[in-house]
Amino acid sequence: MDSNRYKLLLLGGAVRLYFSNTSLASLIGNRVEFATPLNSFKRLQEGVFLLQQGVDPYGGDLVHESPLLLKALSGILLNYAQWLPILYILFDLCTATLLYLLSHTFVKQKLKQQQGECKDYAKDTEELQYSENDQFKIPELVLLAYLFNPLTILSCVGLTSTVLSNLLLALILYTMVKRQLFICVIVLAFETVRSLYPVVLIAPLLLIFARRSVGLSIAILMVFVTSCFAVAGANFLVMNSWNYLDGTLGFIFYFRDLQPNIGLFWYFFTEMFEHFRTMFLITFQLNATVLYLVPLSIKLRKEPLLLATVLIALMAVFRAYPSLGDVGFYLALLPLWRRCWKFMAHGFVVFTFFLITLSMMGALWHLWIYAGSANANFYFGATLAFSTGQIFLITDLLFAHVKRVFCLYNGQRILIDGEEARILLE
Amino acid sequence: MSIYCCCFLMTTPLALTLLLLTPLTQSHQFQYQTDEQFHEELVVRPLAGDHVNTYFQFTTRWHYGSQSNLYHTQLTPRVIAEILQTYDVKELHIGLTQGLWRYESWGYPIVEATGGAELWAWFSSPNLTNSSVNKQWMRLANVFSGILCASLNFVDNTNSIAPKHIFRPQFMESGNQSQQFVRYATLPREIVCTENLTPWKKLLPCGSASGLATLLNSGYVHNTKYHSLGVKVRTLCDSDDSNNCIVELTQTANLVYDLKLLEQSNTDFSLRRLFGMGLNGYCELATSSKIYVQRNEQGERFQLSPQPQQELISTVGGYSVLYGVYDIQQQFEGPGARLFNIAWVGPKGNSKREQTSAPPLYAHRYLLGNGQKHGRIATEVINSHYEPLPVVLMELVPWYVHAYLHTLRICSKPQHLHEYTTSELKFNLLHYAPGKQRELPTHLEVGFMLPARSSALITIEVDYLLLKWLEYPPDANHGHYIGSAVISSQLPIGRNYTAMPPEGHLFKDSFNASRATYTLTLRTEALIVSLPTPDFSMPYNVICLACTVVALAFGPIHSVATKLIIVERQTTIPRNLLRKIVHKLSNRFSRRSAPAVAAADQQQSKQDGKDKGIPSLLEQQLDQAESKKPRDKQANM
Repeated sequence: MDSNRYKLLLLGGAVRLYFSNTSLASLIGNRVEFATPLNSFKRLQEGVFLLQQGVDPYGGDLVHESPLLLKALSGILLNYAQWLPILYILFDLCTATLLYLLSHTFVKQKLKQQQGECKDYAKDTEELQYSENDQFKIPELVLLAYLFNPLTILSCVGLTSTVLSNLLLALILYTMVKRQLFICVIVLAFETVRSLYPVVLIAPLLLIFARRSVGLSIAILMVFVTSCFAVAGANFLVMNSWNYLDGTLGFIFYFRDLQPNIGLFWYFFTEMFEHFRTMFLITFQLNATVLYLVPLSIKLRKEPLLLATVLIALMAVFRAYPSLGDVGFYLALLPLWRRCWKFMAHGFVVFTFFLITLSMMGALWHLWIYAGSANANFYFGATLAFSTGQIFLITDLLFAHVKRVFCLYNGQRILIDGEEARILLE
Repeated sequence: MSIYCCCFLMTTPLALTLLLLTPLTQSHQFQYQTDEQFHEELVVRPLAGDHVNTYFQFTTRWHYGSQSNLYHTQLTPRVIAEILQTYDVKELHIGLTQGLWRYESWGYPIVEATGGAELWAWFSSPNLTNSSVNKQWMRLANVFSGILCASLNFVDNTNSIAPKHIFRPQFMESGNQSQQFVRYATLPREIVCTENLTPWKKLLPCGSASGLATLLNSGYVHNTKYHSLGVKVRTLCDSDDSNNCIVELTQTANLVYDLKLLEQSNTDFSLRRLFGMGLNGYCELATSSKIYVQRNEQGERFQLSPQPQQELISTVGGYSVLYGVYDIQQQFEGPGARLFNIAWVGPKGNSKREQTSAPPLYAHRYLLGNGQKHGRIATEVINSHYEPLPVVLMELVPWYVHAYLHTLRICSKPQHLHEYTTSELKFNLLHYAPGKQRELPTHLEVGFMLPARSSALITIEVDYLLLKWLEYPPDANHGHYIGSAVISSQLPIGRNYTAMPPEGHLFKDSFNASRATYTLTLRTEALIVSLPTPDFSMPYNVICLACTVVALAFGPIHSVATKLIIVERQTTIPRNLLRKIVHKLSNRFSRRSAPAVAAADQQQSKQDGKDKGIPSLLEQQLDQAESKKPRDKQANM
């Protein structure tokens, strides 16, 4: 099994290496679906160049990478620029490995948990329970889904910094599953200061580490807030000015750049009436962060990792500058919920949505920007449909989970008067 | 001055004491006040390709002495005196231009200008800060917006920069302690027309009533291929004595006529043909009133009628220019009204034209790339001189275009090659201020040595941004302008060079003004980029659709989080749509006739739940589920 994993990793790396040597790399680096103002490699290069020239990169409107990473990457970019694609590929392989390990541990934990609970389970629910075989099957699926998803491959080939975000997110999830509180909090604080939205992952973190203990959760929260400030302070020390806060977090929150991307924000705020802008900005940002946080945390309190998956997925749909790399990441987490798949009704619909909208995006972009025969509405339609497809996927997963848990305890065949009954949410 | 004193005397008794003091101060003031002069000049230069350049320059020079004298203006317009009192501006240039100056065939203009509106100003005063300069700058632009009826009020911090290397101050101030600030802005979209010419003429002491300004009729001025109005104000103060100051107002009108458009048959022309009428006299307030006609180069083939009263040879930097001079005041010395006209008569039937040599340095600019998302701005600077030239290039990229500094490349090639090689020139100086959307333009200045007889291609990659729908001007698909680049250099020779030396104030000061180097400033073409545009007609639809998608997520997540799981009987609803409808209708019908049966069918009660309200439905269902099948638990996950 292990050798198989290495083979897959090698193959994934080889695929990325192959594509990064083709003209695809520069093409993807310019595609708005992959490269947003936040993660584009071109802007990173600009930031490094400005740093080198002694110009404050956050004085302008191009650089939104956090200072610590900018400094770190500038060292690499200036001295070993030709090795950078290799570095990104290694990052991506690390992410895949972390996801593999975390799913392995997760399934083990699940199996253990099932042993304790199995006496309450209904009889005919074997196919809803994690089996011994899942220990190997699910991690492999996760690995496959991350390594060979075209979205993650292209996002790595285009050198978007989503590769780094994914690595950090995978690290957060891994340390969560492995119960390494300290690293988890630090990494989460770093990623929060960098791109704001991961702050919602504090909920699954608290659910895992501070179950039932209010005092402990407050302590963890304090540690988190302190480390956020510490990271911000470290960034300040690097740049010697607070300008970067407005350049990173402020830029995300105020949504200053209306460049098209796959999200919901860009056209909405392009067409927004100016006096409603602030209100809708706050509404949309709430929608992307705290709106679903509390209800889902209560609902999924027994499944923190599912909560994390759903929150990461919602983040990828509703964040201000989403990219397809984010989508690829949460798609790789879906095999963890393999035992829910039976209840996922919209699989085909979602797959079709993804396939059609993703292929339409390229075509409609060309028609709008280059051919001039379509307008922005066409592209907006494609991104809107893509978001709808993702939302279907997420809600489907939630429904499937609820039904699975119900069926696990009540049996898959529920009879009323000898007839098969339906399960509904009312 | 004496009139003002009389007024004082009549209105206030206090003025009696003033009167006693006046003889002392008055004599002091008169010493300066008499020193106010107005000069009008017209230069006519035939250009290559049947073009004629006419350049008007009206100079008012006032040795006003101390600041308090600025309240009493005579020849200088009152508004110029007032801005010197109100703002700390020491030097001001405004250009309103339509058309493009073609350096390659026309040589260098006497006064540089770029298409649209352009202004820059120097501020200097002790205790001046950057923010107060920004404020003064905007107010100053607003003042001139009113004076010249131009859209200069659109000048603000989002399109102004502080050039660092390219402009040198031409003013002098008393004391050298105070810091100097410069601001520069262009409005390339500005259209220059009659409404700018009329107020511009009103700044002249004689207005358009008499003198050379009578020639500037909008009907003729705006038919030209290139016309540029300019206003330049500067102050010159004694470095030791702050009460010994001169203010200099120079108004220029630079026109290029295309003779083919004036007269199809031949290339003869006259003042009357160019301006619609002859000259009816000179401005009586003018100290001098002169017309200079270039006689060599392109002017060589023309016979003048009447012959100029005087001929002058001006040698600048090794190149001589022959001017014929008409003194208008002499022409109109005798009594009687008449019109003065000069005619240029070319050789008949000889259409052979001289080849002109290109000036030592010229530039072009264009856009590379296609699509409305990415592009490259390319500026080509050509050095046809036999020595390397230092070049400074300034770019003002508006905020709606993102420029990537790390993509800045300067490629060079020898002049005879067509393709640019990959060899890159190093830049010797670089000043960069990154832009910010809706706040700051990108400001780039780059300096390099351009090798002899070669050209340099300066490229920088840009992204075109999508703006908010209300930020597009009317006719959004017309495109957005990027103002011209400014290129500055030091020429060692005076070929084609006619600009005035900074220490002079009249056109005749440029005669024989040889120097070690000649500061040259060029403007390239302005660019027009088409940004991606949203659909302006459907804001409501977009808002509704986007909110719908948000609601698509909100609804199901809300129900997952709040609702209970229940089981209900698998319905007997047929799959076929038509039968489904029939089934529903019949159910409803039978339900109405016999309400007691209702509880039997789950599906039916669900339909009627709309009438009854949800709680009752839920109760009913829960009751049923529990009573009929006690094993079915409700689960609240």
